[in-house]
Amino acid sequence: MRRAASASAIFALFAMLAAALFAAPAIAQSSDGFVAAVTEDQIAVSSTFSGARIFVFGATPSRRADDVVVVVRGPGGPVTVMRREPVFGLWVNSDPVKFEAAPGFFAVMTAKPLSQIASRKAIWELGLDPAGAARLTGATPADADPGAYRAALVRLKRAQNLYQENPRGLTRLPGGLYRSPVALPANAPPGEYRVEVYLFRNRKLVGTETSTIQIKRIGVERMIHDFADRFPVLYGITAVLVALGAGWLASVTLGRRT
Amino acid sequence: MHVYLPIAEMPVNALLVLLLSGAVGFLSGLLGVGGGFIMTPILLFMGVPPPVAVATELSQVTASSVSGAISYSRRRLIDLRMAALLTLGGLIGGYWGVQLIAVVRELGQADVLVSLVYVAFLTSIGGLMLWESTEALRRQALGLPPPRPKARPAGIVLPLQMRFPRSGLTLSILPPLAIGAGAGAIGAIMGVGGGFLLVPAMIYLLRMPANVVVGTSLIVVLITSSQLTVQQSAVNGSVDLVLAAMLITGGVIGAQFGVQAGHTLPPERLRTMLGAVVLATGLCLLVSLLLPPGERYALGGGL
Repeated sequence: MRRAASASAIFALFAMLAAALFAAPAIAQSSDGFVAAVTEDQIAVSSTFSGARIFVFGATPSRRADDVVVVVRGPGGPVTVMRREPVFGLWVNSDPVKFEAAPGFFAVMTAKPLSQIASRKAIWELGLDPAGAARLTGATPADADPGAYRAALVRLKRAQNLYQENPRGLTRLPGGLYRSPVALPANAPPGEYRVEVYLFRNRKLVGTETSTIQIKRIGVERMIHDFADRFPVLYGITAVLVALGAGWLASVTLGRRT
Repeated sequence: MHVYLPIAEMPVNALLVLLLSGAVGFLSGLLGVGGGFIMTPILLFMGVPPPVAVATELSQVTASSVSGAISYSRRRLIDLRMAALLTLGGLIGGYWGVQLIAVVRELGQADVLVSLVYVAFLTSIGGLMLWESTEALRRQALGLPPPRPKARPAGIVLPLQMRFPRSGLTLSILPPLAIGAGAGAIGAIMGVGGGFLLVPAMIYLLRMPANVVVGTSLIVVLITSSQLTVQQSAVNGSVDLVLAAMLITGGVIGAQFGVQAGHTLPPERLRTMLGAVVLATGLCLLVSLLLPPGERYALGGGL
């Protein structure tokens, strides 16, 4: 069953590659034969959305020393991390530290540990690990270590499946092909996602391909979100009217029995 | 069965939410509380972001309380004058509560304040109600007369006396205003309607007859929670209509059964139950805060 699935995936991959090489501009290709593509460019979020899986795939010039790093970044925003402190013996959230921009989703997929592919400097500069991708701007409490907050942010997001680092998340196939499945969990924030594919050769960056995918709300989900966004007061009044109407309906239909 | 929430940006188990909100709605109709103090922590525990949990739960409070209030008004068990005074006080108190929490949030200590207020008020109010009402039940069982209410302190006659025919009381309007303001301020800090504070205050401080307390409380909670829902939506845009629809459906149906159950139970028994529910919620929260956390850090804004 699994074999069949992966065989068909490989077939699809070849087919798409073949088609893409002739027609689709969505596939990025640099001159030396490094290509990258994504199976989806749009993911619809409806009321039954329970996450999605995308495949990032492509080919590299066939050389032994080539390493591919796939990074998927979701829409970022400010995040507050708090530390639990005992107050009157109760452990309550305190000492907030604000990260001005942390990715809402971050996945880095490689075929072997990242440290064997790129230098620490490159990892930091390209933001290949989530700790580097989260920018800390606010002041930290006097006694606190900013690094501990950064590590906590990554740990907490990882626990929600929103930050993923997988050193076995990328498969090399014969002929210089590669393929990497990325699971987008249901709590992944809608918006524009950047897919970045880096080619390293002997720990040196030799190629970069990027593309974007959209996670979009559709149908009722979209209507409600846009309504709340554009007319917040009217939306609040609607919520109250729905509540009042439902309460009234229940009391006239169920309440007259006694 | 999972349903995706457009504002919270996560899926929840619809069946679970319906069952829980039904149970909370039952308590609401039975005891005259909105139920926010139970349901909000449950939603947070399920992973709903705090602003969404608070704002959306308020719409369930509105729905359950209107559902119950209509049934009580049909039986003429609502003191509208008292409700108006408590609501007026509540709006003033709620305004200052929101201001206070904004200041404390600037200092980064909002969670500390909210946690302490939750634990302090749930355990103390719940404990006092449970103790008083079991004492009353014990006296009944032994055939003793109920303890004579202590005379109001003589000599101090507050100005602005008013008659409350439905409750059979003549009172200054100042105590109801003050009680409304206190419940409104604490409710705003906790992000709940404040019914669990109003019910005991009306019974023990205002000495209203037990049969009008529940309906009157529901009217006050109804108005406060409606106002807070609109305010939360305007300021934070954080009401999730899909989650609200599930909570409301469960809440209003539960509330109707609660009201019907309420008519078959003596008031002391109801007070025992409310006391037990409030105390149990407070103790659960207390225990969870007393245990040293496995994870020292948390993502912003949680309880």
